[in-house]
Amino acid sequence: MKGKKKYQPWLYSSPAMILIGIIIVFPILYTGFISLTNMNLFHWLDYRVIGLENFKRALFKVDSGFLKALLTTLLWTAVNMALQLVLSYFIALGLNAPGLKLRRLYKTLLMFPWAMPAYVSILLWRVGMFNTEFGLFNKCLSALGLSKVNFLSENIPAFLSCMILNLWMALPFMIMMIDGALQSIDKCYYESAKLDGAGFWKQNLHITIPFIKPIMAPAVIMTTFTTFKQFDIFYLLTMQKGAYTGATIQTIITYAHQNAFVSNNYGLSSAVSIIIFGIIIALSLFTNRGVKETGEMALRKKGGAYDKA
Amino acid sequence: MKKIVKAMLCVLLIMSLAGCSRNNTVSSVKEPEVTGSETGENQDSKEATETKPVELKIWHDGDEAIMGIIQTSLNESLKDKKITVNFEKKAGLTDQIKLYGTDAANGPDMYLYAHDSVGMFAEMGILAPITDVIGDESLSELLPMTVQAGTYKEKKYQLPVYFETLLFLYNKDLWKGEVPNTTEELYQYMKENTDTAAGTYAVVNQHSTAYNVSPFINGFGGFILSAEGEPGLNNAATKEAIDYNKKFAALQADGDYNTVTTLFNEGKAAAIIGGPWLISGIKEAGINLGYKSLADFTLPNGRNLAPFAGVQGVCVMKYAAEAKKDAIGEVLKTLAGKELGAELAKKSNCAPANVKAYEDTEVAANEMVVTMKQTAETAQPMPNIPQLTVMWAPTESLLAAVNKSGEDLDKAADKYQQEALTAIADMQ
Repeated sequence: MKGKKKYQPWLYSSPAMILIGIIIVFPILYTGFISLTNMNLFHWLDYRVIGLENFKRALFKVDSGFLKALLTTLLWTAVNMALQLVLSYFIALGLNAPGLKLRRLYKTLLMFPWAMPAYVSILLWRVGMFNTEFGLFNKCLSALGLSKVNFLSENIPAFLSCMILNLWMALPFMIMMIDGALQSIDKCYYESAKLDGAGFWKQNLHITIPFIKPIMAPAVIMTTFTTFKQFDIFYLLTMQKGAYTGATIQTIITYAHQNAFVSNNYGLSSAVSIIIFGIIIALSLFTNRGVKETGEMALRKKGGAYDKA
Repeated sequence: MKKIVKAMLCVLLIMSLAGCSRNNTVSSVKEPEVTGSETGENQDSKEATETKPVELKIWHDGDEAIMGIIQTSLNESLKDKKITVNFEKKAGLTDQIKLYGTDAANGPDMYLYAHDSVGMFAEMGILAPITDVIGDESLSELLPMTVQAGTYKEKKYQLPVYFETLLFLYNKDLWKGEVPNTTEELYQYMKENTDTAAGTYAVVNQHSTAYNVSPFINGFGGFILSAEGEPGLNNAATKEAIDYNKKFAALQADGDYNTVTTLFNEGKAAAIIGGPWLISGIKEAGINLGYKSLADFTLPNGRNLAPFAGVQGVCVMKYAAEAKKDAIGEVLKTLAGKELGAELAKKSNCAPANVKAYEDTEVAANEMVVTMKQTAETAQPMPNIPQLTVMWAPTESLLAAVNKSGEDLDKAADKYQQEALTAIADMQ
């Protein structure tokens, strides 16, 4: 009986495990194998194993461009996360104001950017908002008698443009998460606080934020990862083939794409992929540990409160 | 109850495993199929000399209407020889060829695509020279430029069918007077007839894409990539051309494809530098369109504008050339003939590679096609060596840096020349 139960879960989950092995594990392993070869345009049929040569080349490609891309990516992640959290927090508070009418309508409209495919959103903004002749922003500027602006031709305005677009696309998720978290807070805390004379800011600082923190932590971590490895906004907005806009902003992923993935050198590209994969895995393990500790601290606090009561 | 649920789960599990097993069985059966297929192909090859039916597959990523014309014409011409040709559209054709380039069972026999990828596929070892299948005499009626376009390391890999290049397209209702014959006069006209604040332009162009700046670069004697694989972004003549192009770019909006085509089609620009791919949109907009060859514009140095040309032609897979040589030979000869070329010109406004096709009275009356042929006298085929695939990014980054970001030309040229050299080195 004991032995039977020991193996049963593996038996039940084996079809799913096989599927995961085929479509996730095998490609990673195959990429690992290719990264040890000299497969490229000139050795398409006669490639051979060359050991860690590709990894050496990939690591030596970490030049000043990469460091600049890394700093840009960190800045991008920090600024976007900060703005996202602040804006979505206050929007969610607004959506939860007592007595608000048409609440569902507002929520539906606010969720719309999330429902659109990213590709469509980005191209619409590029053509409909940022375009020098037909974009909404330039139409407004012209109507005010100001000269037209090419928002995407230099790095700082292009960075800000990408940021605005990213906020537009990413806010719905964060708003929804905070909205859900807010609804889970017991109203009696606010009533007690109000009786004790707490104002808006004190209520938020001591009740709302601590209560939503455990729920928001995973969402923030997930969004941080997504923002860190952003590729589509920068690529589609500023560096589409045949449509370079002049900005030379590079994130880590766009840098890797430009320097490794267009050369038809699959060995080198695979090595770069494996390195990026390793970096992300390391970050993932690090953040998982962080979440675990946060959870434990929360439990201890809860226990303490219980003890006091 | 618990036992019943367990039993049901076990049954479902076994059914799933049986499903997987079935898939495995199918995949193992495929192996003999491949062998059988190869045997069948060898048999077809032998029987071809006895006029047995042969079916050939040609992959493409082009206009369905054009491919339909070619397919219909080919099958009509080769009916007596019992050869059937099927064109299949494959989006992302270059990636598909990489995947199936050595797969005789699932890959194509030939593909029809632009010539600039010939070097890449030849270097991969998956193409056969067309001279393995047909003699040089079959190419004698073709424009030399188009044959040269598909030649890599002295071997002819591509049979040209038609070519594309840039033209000066103008709105006859908006253009004032005659179109000038020199670039300086054109620039003067642009200065007098462009109001960027109001959004009206004399001429628009994708002024920061390599293909659309090539008329200047080639005309000044510069180059993006030499035949030996050397980038020329900081070559003196190239820089001179980019600097000259910059003053035109300042009067041509932001140079984005969507922007410039919309400006022209909406009548806010009187002229556009573009190719045959723009014609359908222009006709839909109801514009009274005029054509002028870029070869008719003279630069300050006395030379003429010399745009890139893209040649659309057929390449033969190595395995197909070995197995279906005679049938493929017949197809290539028919593709090289003047009848097909004339048909393409009449029905699709393509500029045929066959010189004699232009003698057809209807073709000779087609203004756009004749203008394209005229341009072929100075047009340069795009480089076809594999290194071209990594040259677009640094070249267009350089053009965008100079035209859109206001970067210093010399610094930018040196920077992107270095980037190009690095990218080429990374290919090995």
